[in-house]
Amino acid sequence: MTAFMGSDFRFGLRLSRGVILLVLCLVAVIMLYPFYYMLHAAFQSFQQFELGRGFSFTSWAQLFSVLPVFRELVNSSIVTLGTVAIILAVSTCGGYSLSKLRFRGSSVVFVGIVATMMVPLQSIIIPEYVNLSRVGLIGHFIGAVLVYSALGSPFATFLMTTYFRGVPDELLEAAVVDGLSYANIFLRIMVPMAIPALFTVAVLQFIQVWDDLLVAMLFLPNPDVRTITVGLATLQAQRIVNIPVLMAGSFISALPAVIVYLIFQRSLINGLTMGMGK
Amino acid sequence: MESKRALRIFSARNGAATVTSLTRQRSRSSPLARQRAGVGVMFVAPVVLLVVFLLVLPIIEAIYYSFTNWNGLSSQWVGLATYEQLLTSPVFWRVLLNNAVLLIAIPFAIFIPLSVAFLLNQKTFGWAFFRSVYFLPTAISWVVIGMVSIQFFAADGLLSRGLQLLGLPGNQQGFLGHSATAIAAVAVTFIWSVFGTNTIIFVTGMATIGTEVLEAARVDGATGWTTITRIMIPLLGRFIQFAFVTTLITAFTALFSLIFVMTGGGPGYGTTTLEFYVYQEAFSQGQFGTGAALGVVLFLIVFGISLFQLRLMSRDTSPM
Repeated sequence: MTAFMGSDFRFGLRLSRGVILLVLCLVAVIMLYPFYYMLHAAFQSFQQFELGRGFSFTSWAQLFSVLPVFRELVNSSIVTLGTVAIILAVSTCGGYSLSKLRFRGSSVVFVGIVATMMVPLQSIIIPEYVNLSRVGLIGHFIGAVLVYSALGSPFATFLMTTYFRGVPDELLEAAVVDGLSYANIFLRIMVPMAIPALFTVAVLQFIQVWDDLLVAMLFLPNPDVRTITVGLATLQAQRIVNIPVLMAGSFISALPAVIVYLIFQRSLINGLTMGMGK
Repeated sequence: MESKRALRIFSARNGAATVTSLTRQRSRSSPLARQRAGVGVMFVAPVVLLVVFLLVLPIIEAIYYSFTNWNGLSSQWVGLATYEQLLTSPVFWRVLLNNAVLLIAIPFAIFIPLSVAFLLNQKTFGWAFFRSVYFLPTAISWVVIGMVSIQFFAADGLLSRGLQLLGLPGNQQGFLGHSATAIAAVAVTFIWSVFGTNTIIFVTGMATIGTEVLEAARVDGATGWTTITRIMIPLLGRFIQFAFVTTLITAFTALFSLIFVMTGGGPGYGTTTLEFYVYQEAFSQGQFGTGAALGVVLFLIVFGISLFQLRLMSRDTSPM
């Protein structure tokens, strides 16, 4: 081995630590710039924004006057939490059944559910819209919640089934022998064991639903049920407000999902890799 | 006491034998197995109902209605007429071309995260912090990303001013004003957005490569570049495939909000992709039949990609 290889050789890279750090910092700046821009602009009035300096709360005041921020945050929360609750319930039950209570044809059901993961939202959105309007669910939270739940539950069920398969059969058998019913096994043994996976599903779905535009825009079109993401997009499309106000709106709409991300980052990363299947 | 325990162990073993034999031969069903199957059906019913009524039924309807001139209320069978119309429509080909242009972004959306993942994997000072920062955009809605992106690509935006600073002409109308630069702007924003997700996938992949392998390579005198190209990239194969397929599907099906906010599909049809065209045809033009047909085309593309992924995954079943 020659001196050419260097002593800081690791994983085959001959770059010095300093250069690596510099590149990583540069990438971090590129990734964080939009957040800086958002906050910087949001805390300026329009005049200050044009000048490029200054600090003020006027844009926030303006935002609250053009956008029913609290109402829409509450609407977003209802839709998101409702969806997360339904998905957790159906995917945990489904995963338990498909992994541990196998019945005639259960593997077909599993393959069928996994196959629906391939259906893109845009391919079904038109019949979905027509069907739900026929039963009068457009403009009601439950309509959007059902659509989001259907879209999210195949992956969640796949994840929970995979997770429950890791639970040893002996554990269930012992519980059956002890006289526990299958429903009680589910509540007392399976659900408590699945808490990490439940967090993963919840965080993934929370972020997806909170950030979605298309479903919320079509299924909750009226101002009284509008979500914050749709409210923001509508505000932008109308082109009636200036950039600092839009940035304040962007920031406030992104905040809940960012907070969830910062707290449950680990679960989210787990979910991403679990998606690769086993 | 002792005998009770023995009995329990015996019955547990017996139970285990029954359970395993029953999963193997379904014909011999004991009351216990029948009860279990009944509970199983009950537990899986909610998710099955949800999926059947809100995913399977609409895709069947979409396929059916794509052969009609549906307007949301009434429909008449027109056979393949809608598809024939699409094939001869310049707009349809323009839209597919836009999708194809976005595919050019995919190598960048893989290669840049892969390179950065190699750097992160050196575990320098603060690497966990960098990982969190890179992954952050995953939590941000495309609506917000698009909103900031508009400002970045605007006539007086950062990009234009940066170019002027370098002595190059800026962009008087802003980059979103021309089809070619607008689709490029969408592509760049797309690369930025998926950067974090793909980086995390690769970092996770690299963590699965044992240090012994790399040590062995080093002892054998492999240089840095050889280690990366001959050892790490082949070992990351599964992860690269996964990132590739997810990014591909994202490019086809998840850019609606970004395009809606950034360009509205314009100028003209300059940034209208297939998924955006479905929305435009159905909800702006009221052409539900055409929209359904476009949705079916999109479904076939995504279905094809997914089958390709399944084949890759079943070929390589090494544990993570």
